[in-house]
Amino acid sequence: MVRIIASTIYTVLLFMLCLSKAEAKSYTAPLNYHSILLRQDTVPQDSVELKKIDMAISKKISSIAILKGTRDSVNVKMSALSPNLSLQQILKGNTSGLYVQEITGEPGTEQSMLIRGLSAPIFSRKDVYAVQPVVYLNGIPLAQDNPFAFEVQKYDYNRIGPATNLLSAIDINNINSIEVIKDPVTLAKLGPNAANGAIWITTKNAKSGSRQISVNSYFGMVQATNVNTVNGAFENKFRQPFYQKYATTADRANYASYLRDSTSNDYYGPSNWNDLYFKTAPIHSIDLSLTGGSERANFRFFGGNTRSAGNADQTALNRYTAAFQINMAPFTWFTLSTKINATRLDRDRNRSVRDHFGETTYLTDFSTPLAPNKGLYQSFLNEYDKVIDDNTNTLLQGAVSMNIKLNKVNFTTSLLFDYMEGVRDVFYPSTLMEDNNYVSNYFGFNQRMILNNAFTYALDLNKNNHFDFELGQSLQDDTYKYNYAKAYNGPSDFIKINEVDGNKDHDDYLESPYGGFYIFRFNDREKSKLLSFYGSVKYKYKDLLTLRGSLRNDGTSNGQPDSRWMITPAIGAEFNLKSQFLKENTLFDALNLTASWSRMMKPFNDDRFAGGPQYRVQMGWNEEPTLPTYGGRGGIMRPYTSGWVGYGIGLPYVDQLNVGVDAAFLKGRLNAGLTFYKKDDKRMVLNLPLVTESGYASINSSGMDVSNTGIELNLNAAVLQNNKGLSWTSGINLSFNRNKLTALPGGLDELIIGDRKLKVGKAIDAFWLYENNGIFNSTAEIPVNPATNKPLTFDGNALKAGDPSWKDQNGDYVINDADKVLKGNRLPKITGGWSNEFNYAGFNLNIQLFAAIGQKALNQYDANRYDFINRETSNNIGSIREVNSWQTSSKVKSYPIYNPWSDVIPYRVDQDIFLENASYVKLRTVSLGYDLSKTRLFSKMKADFKRIYVYVTANNLLTITSFSGSDPELIDYTGMYNGYGMAIPKTYTLGIKFDL
Amino acid sequence: MIYFINRNTIFNKAVITVLLIAVISMNFSCKKALDVQSTRLSTEKTQWTTLEDGLSGLLGMYALMRTAMASNNTHWLMGELRLGDFQATSRSDLKAIIRGDLKASYPIMNEITNWRRFYSVINSTSLFIERSGEILAKDKRYTKVNNDVDIAQARALRAFAYFYMVRIWGDVPLITSSHDGQFEEHAKTDQKKVLAFAEAELLAAAKVLPIYYGLNDPQLPGDYYGRNRDSWNGVLLTKISAYSILSHLSAWQGRYVDTEVYTKFVMDNYQKDGSQSSPRYISMDDLTENGFYSPFAFKRGVQIVGFAFEYGNGEATANGHIEQLTLAAPLIRKPVPDMFVPKDTIRSAFKDLKDLRFGLDTVTKLYRTNYFLNYNTEMPIFKKINVRQNGDLGNDGTFAVFSSAVLFTRLEEITLLRAEALAVLGARNEAIDALNTASSRRGATGFSNTSNADVIDAIFAERRRELMGEGWRWYDLVRYNRIKRNNPAFNRLLDENGIYWPISRDVLNANKLIVQNSYWN
Repeated sequence: MVRIIASTIYTVLLFMLCLSKAEAKSYTAPLNYHSILLRQDTVPQDSVELKKIDMAISKKISSIAILKGTRDSVNVKMSALSPNLSLQQILKGNTSGLYVQEITGEPGTEQSMLIRGLSAPIFSRKDVYAVQPVVYLNGIPLAQDNPFAFEVQKYDYNRIGPATNLLSAIDINNINSIEVIKDPVTLAKLGPNAANGAIWITTKNAKSGSRQISVNSYFGMVQATNVNTVNGAFENKFRQPFYQKYATTADRANYASYLRDSTSNDYYGPSNWNDLYFKTAPIHSIDLSLTGGSERANFRFFGGNTRSAGNADQTALNRYTAAFQINMAPFTWFTLSTKINATRLDRDRNRSVRDHFGETTYLTDFSTPLAPNKGLYQSFLNEYDKVIDDNTNTLLQGAVSMNIKLNKVNFTTSLLFDYMEGVRDVFYPSTLMEDNNYVSNYFGFNQRMILNNAFTYALDLNKNNHFDFELGQSLQDDTYKYNYAKAYNGPSDFIKINEVDGNKDHDDYLESPYGGFYIFRFNDREKSKLLSFYGSVKYKYKDLLTLRGSLRNDGTSNGQPDSRWMITPAIGAEFNLKSQFLKENTLFDALNLTASWSRMMKPFNDDRFAGGPQYRVQMGWNEEPTLPTYGGRGGIMRPYTSGWVGYGIGLPYVDQLNVGVDAAFLKGRLNAGLTFYKKDDKRMVLNLPLVTESGYASINSSGMDVSNTGIELNLNAAVLQNNKGLSWTSGINLSFNRNKLTALPGGLDELIIGDRKLKVGKAIDAFWLYENNGIFNSTAEIPVNPATNKPLTFDGNALKAGDPSWKDQNGDYVINDADKVLKGNRLPKITGGWSNEFNYAGFNLNIQLFAAIGQKALNQYDANRYDFINRETSNNIGSIREVNSWQTSSKVKSYPIYNPWSDVIPYRVDQDIFLENASYVKLRTVSLGYDLSKTRLFSKMKADFKRIYVYVTANNLLTITSFSGSDPELIDYTGMYNGYGMAIPKTYTLGIKFDL
Repeated sequence: MIYFINRNTIFNKAVITVLLIAVISMNFSCKKALDVQSTRLSTEKTQWTTLEDGLSGLLGMYALMRTAMASNNTHWLMGELRLGDFQATSRSDLKAIIRGDLKASYPIMNEITNWRRFYSVINSTSLFIERSGEILAKDKRYTKVNNDVDIAQARALRAFAYFYMVRIWGDVPLITSSHDGQFEEHAKTDQKKVLAFAEAELLAAAKVLPIYYGLNDPQLPGDYYGRNRDSWNGVLLTKISAYSILSHLSAWQGRYVDTEVYTKFVMDNYQKDGSQSSPRYISMDDLTENGFYSPFAFKRGVQIVGFAFEYGNGEATANGHIEQLTLAAPLIRKPVPDMFVPKDTIRSAFKDLKDLRFGLDTVTKLYRTNYFLNYNTEMPIFKKINVRQNGDLGNDGTFAVFSSAVLFTRLEEITLLRAEALAVLGARNEAIDALNTASSRRGATGFSNTSNADVIDAIFAERRRELMGEGWRWYDLVRYNRIKRNNPAFNRLLDENGIYWPISRDVLNANKLIVQNSYWN
C-alpha cells in the first residue's frame, strides 16, 4: 500500500519535474538565497525586485530563521575580528548545543563538531566521521572526506592523503550568516544529510547599486609557547626510585642506553630544543570584494588569501579563495542565480616522529629518542629539510538556481555541485629512517552532484488563514575515490618520486625503472546515491499560531535492497503567547512557545551494508593489515576481520523532539530562549563482538539506540544602552547534555568491545576503569581469600609487593574485567559561551569566553611516562618519544612508585589514578576597534568611506583549569590525553576593514 | 497540479503524452538509480560463479591460515619460546612467555591466545567445501576433478588448523560446517574427538590430493588453474603434506605405530627427482645461505607444509617472521635483538665442533656463522633464518622487511619424526638410520649403532639443533617428556594440562560456554 502511495507521489512529483524541464528554460530563484540576514557585516541593499522574489523563495527555508535574533546564529561580525581558520573555530563556544574541541593547535588539521551530544560511541578515529553534522554552503551540503581510507591504514592518527580540514576552506569575510540548525522540522526539510544536525552558511550576496568595494586585512602573529625544558638528568632522576626499589641486576644492565652516560652532552647537556621547535610565526589575511550591477542583473566577486600558522614545528596553512556570484532577473517572474566558490588549501604539516612513522608504517628502533639538545635537534631538522611533504586541496563548489514565480506558484530548480581534490606527495630521506627512504603519493577526490526541484504554492484562504504548500524532489550522487601508492627503500635520496613504467606490454609494467623501490598500491572507490521526495505544509493563523508539517520519502543506495526507502514525518507548532494572552502586558515584548518533532533517516556512509553477505580481501592482521595476496595471487574471503554483514539491517533513523520558549522583555533589552530537546538515534549499526569460534571478529548488528537529552539556554541583554556614553551588550549561551545508551542490538544489556564497555542505561562516552586503592608495600598486605586460602590475583597473575591495589569490586579475590567500573565521561556535561560588546565614543571592545565543564580525560601521557619500561622495550609506535616530551611543568602530577617490571602492568592506563577532571574556562577573544570613517579626517575627504574599522585582537589568552596536562582541549576523541596535540597558540592581530 | 496545467495552456496533448512516457520511464530509472554496484566487495550474487572465484576462494583459505600462524609471530612465540633456548633481552612479554607465565597481561598475550583467526580458516574451508561446487554448473571451465582437489585441500587445511589448535589449547570446539550466517555458541570438544575428526579428514583428503600441482600428476593431469608446477610449488597442500600432518597428529597423541606408517608413506612417495620443486634433503648452504634454495625464502617445493610470503608480490612484512625477533645489527639496523640464544645454550646444544651449523672452522679456527653471528659477544645473533627483503645476499638490511615462510615441516623434520617413532617402537637400527639420514648433511659425526647413548635423546637433540627457530622446541619438549616422563616439573605440566595455553579473554567474553583451561584459573 505504502509503495503504491509512494509511487503515486513520485509520479506526480516527477511529472512536475518534467514540466519544469520542458518548460523551464526559465525559472527559479536561488533556492537557498534567504533574506533573513542575521547580523550582517555590511548593510545589504538588495534591489526591490530581487528582494521581493527573495522573500518568496525564502519560504523554502523560512523556518530556519524562525527563531529570530542571535539565537543559534553566529555573530559573524564579531567572529570576523578573530583570525579563525576553520568553521569549527568560528563556531567554538559561540552557539548553544554545538560542541567543538580542538584536539591540536596545528592549523588545518581535521576537527570535529557535535550538535546536541554524541549520537554513537567513538571507538576509533573513523567513528568520528559518522557523527559530524552537515555543513551547507549556499544550500550545498558539503561532502567531507570518507573514512573508508582507514581500511588500508595500520594507524589512524591521520587519514592518508592531505587530511586537511575541508571546513577551513570557508573564509569568514565572505560569509553573510552562519546558523546552527537544530529545529527538528527544519532539519527534516533538509533531509537525511542533516540527520546529525546542520550548519547553514550563506555567503554575502550580490547587490545592485553603484559599485561597492570592501577590503579586509589583518596581520599578526602566533606566539611561541614558553616551556620548562628538562634533559636526561631529569629523566634519570625520575627513574632512580624505580630502580632502587625494584630493579634486578638484569634490569639494571638494561638501563636505557641514552641515559647511561651522564657525561654525554647530548642528553645531559643543555635542553634548548624549544628554541627551534617553538617559533613565533606571522599570520595574515587579505581579501577584497566587489559588488555592483543593476536591479535586474548584479554580481559579487570575492578574492582572498589567508595564512594561518601554528607556533610549533613550522606548521601553517595557506588558503586562497575566490568566489563569484551573479544574479539575473530578465523578467519580473524569472530569476537566475549562479554562485561559485573556489578554494585552494596548502598545508605544512608537523614534523613529529609519530606522524612520520604513522604514514610509513615502517618502524625503526625507537629506544633512543631525539636529544633535547638544540644542536642535535638542528641536525635532525637539517635532514628534515630534505623531506617532501606537499599537501594540497582544491575545492570547487557551485550552485545554479532558477526560479519562476507565477502568481502564487513558485518553481525552483537548482543544480549543486561540490568537488574536492586532495593531493599529498611525501618523501622521507634515508637519513630519517635508518638508511631506508620512503615515498608516497596520494590523489583522491570527493564529488557530489545534486539536482533539486521544488514547487511552492501560497494560498491565502482568507485574511486570517494562510497556507504554504511545497513539493520537492532531490537527487544526490556522491563519489569518493583515492589512489595511493607508497614505496620503500628507493635507490637514492635524489630520486624522490615513485615513477613506474606505464607500458602494459613491458615486463616491468608498474615497476620502478630505477629499481629498488618496494611498492604498495591502494585504490578504492565508493559511490552512493540519495533520492528524496517530500511535501510540506505550513499553516498560519493570524499571527497567533503557525503549524508546520512535512512528509518525505528518502532512498539511499547504501541501504539494503529491501529497506532502502524510508518515509518520515515531521510536525511542529509555534504559538505566539504574547498576541494571545499578553497583548497589554508591558513586561513581555514577545513570548513564543514552540514544539516540534521529526523523524529522519540516517544514511550509512559505507556501501558494505547494501551488499548483504559478502566476500572481501582481508587476509592481513592488525600489524600487517594490507597483505595483498597469497602465493602471489589474490584470495577472497568472508569479512572475518571487519565483521559479518547479514540481511535485515534496516536504515538507522533519528527522532527529535524540541520544546522551546522565547521571550523578549523590557522593550527588547533582554532576550531569552530556553529549549528542551530529546534526540533519539535509533536502529544504528554496531559492530559487536561475535563468538570467536565463528571465525568472525564481529557482526554488524542493527539495533543500537542512543538518547541525548539536554537543555539550552540563551540570554542576550543590552545591559547598558547609551548612545553617547558607554553601552554594553552581553550574550550568554549554556547547554546541558546527557547521553544514554537505550538499547543494544539483540536485546543485549551490556557489551565489551576492546577497552570499552557499553551498558544499557549508561552513557556511551564513559571510561571503563579499575579503581586504584594504592599500593601493596609487602606481600603481607595482599588480601587472602578466607574460603580458599589463596591470595588476591590479577587475572591469573600473582600480585606481589610493589603492585597496585585495585579494588576487587565483586569480592572474588580475582581482579579482572568484572572489577572495572564505568566512571567519568569524555564529553562535557555543560558547555557555554559568554560574549560581551562594549561601545564607547566610537570604540568597540569585544570579549568572549567559553567553557566546557564536567568532562574527564585519561592521562595517557603520564601513564606512558611511568610505564617507561614497557614503552621503551616494546618498540612499537607508542614507544616514540617526541622532542617536545623534554619538558615538565609545575602542574605535572606524581603517582605511587609501583614495580614497572611487573606482569600486571601497574601503570596501565585503564585505571582511575589517570582519570582527571578536564573542565576548563577559556578567555578566547579580546578585541578592540575603532571606526575611523566617522572621524573628521575621513569625513572631510571626498571619497565615500562607509567604514574604516581598525582593530586589534588577541586570542586564546587564558585558560582556567585544574587539568595537569598542557591544555584540557588537547584530548583525543576517545578521551585520552597523549601529549601529541600541538599547543593552541596565543594570537595577536592588527586588522582593518574598509567599505567604500 | 491540474489547475496549473489548465491555466498554462501552452501544453498540448502531445506534450503531455510525451511527458507521461518520460515520467513512467523516469520513475523506473529512479528506482534503478539506487542500484549502485560496489567495487569493494563480492556479493552472494557474484561469488561462486566463475573459475576465478574457485581460485580466489581457495587461496583465501591459505592466506587465512598464514595469518593465523604468522600474525604477531604466533608460530614462534608459542612454539619456540616457552622453556626453550631463546632468552629475551628486554621485552617483558617475551620474558613472561619464556618463563611460562602465559597469563601475564601484556597485550600480545591476549592477541595470540585468541583462536578466532584459526576459526576463520575453519569457517572459510567449511564454506568452500559447501559452496565451491556451485561453480560447476555456472562455469564450464571449472571441472569436477578440479573441484574435488580443491575440496580435498580445504578439508586438509581445516584438519591442519584443528591439529594446530589442539597442540596449543587442548580441547577446542569442533565445528564441521560453516553455519554461514548463524553464530551459535559451541562448547569445547574433547581433543581426542577433534583429532579423530582431523585424522579422518586428512585421510579422506589424502586420497584425492595430488603429489604435484600442474605436472601431470595421475590424480590431477595437466595445469592447475591454467598454471604449471612452478606456480604452485610450496603454495598448496599435497598428498605428501597431508601425510606429514597425519604423522604429527598421531605422534602428538603418542600413537607412534601410526606415525611410522604415515611417515613411511611420505618417505616412499615424495618425488625423488632431485628437482628444486620437490621435497628433498637440503645441504647446509641451502639451509642457511638464504639464497635461491633456502627452505624459508619464497614458496619452495621443500616446504612440505609451509605458508610463504612472496617478496615480489608485496607480501614481505615486518611482523610475521622470526627475524623480527632475532635479527639485529649488523644484519639490520636494529641495535639489539628482541631475543637470542645465550652462549651456554649454544654450547650445550652443539657439542660436536665439526657441526656445520655451529662449530669450529678447521681452517680458519673461527666459529661457524651459519646459525649464529657474533658468537663471541654477549648476544649472538640467531641468523639461521635471515630472509631480509627477498633474501638476496646483496641486501644490506636497511629495509627490515622479511619474506621467510611460516614453515611447519620439511623433509629433515619428517625424517627425524620417523626416527622418533621408530625409536619409541624399539626399531633402534632403523631409527638410527633415519636420524643419520636427516643429519648427514650437517657435518657432525653420525650416531653410531654401537653407541650406548639413548637414541631418543639423540633424536631430540638433533631436532633441537636442526629445527632451531622453526617453531618446534616447545612441542618437542612436550613429546619428549611424554615419552620419558623423567622431569617432575614437566610431568606436573603434563598432568595438570599446563602444557596448554590459556584462552584469550576475548574468546571467553564472547562465548559463555567456553571455560578457561583449568591450569590457568
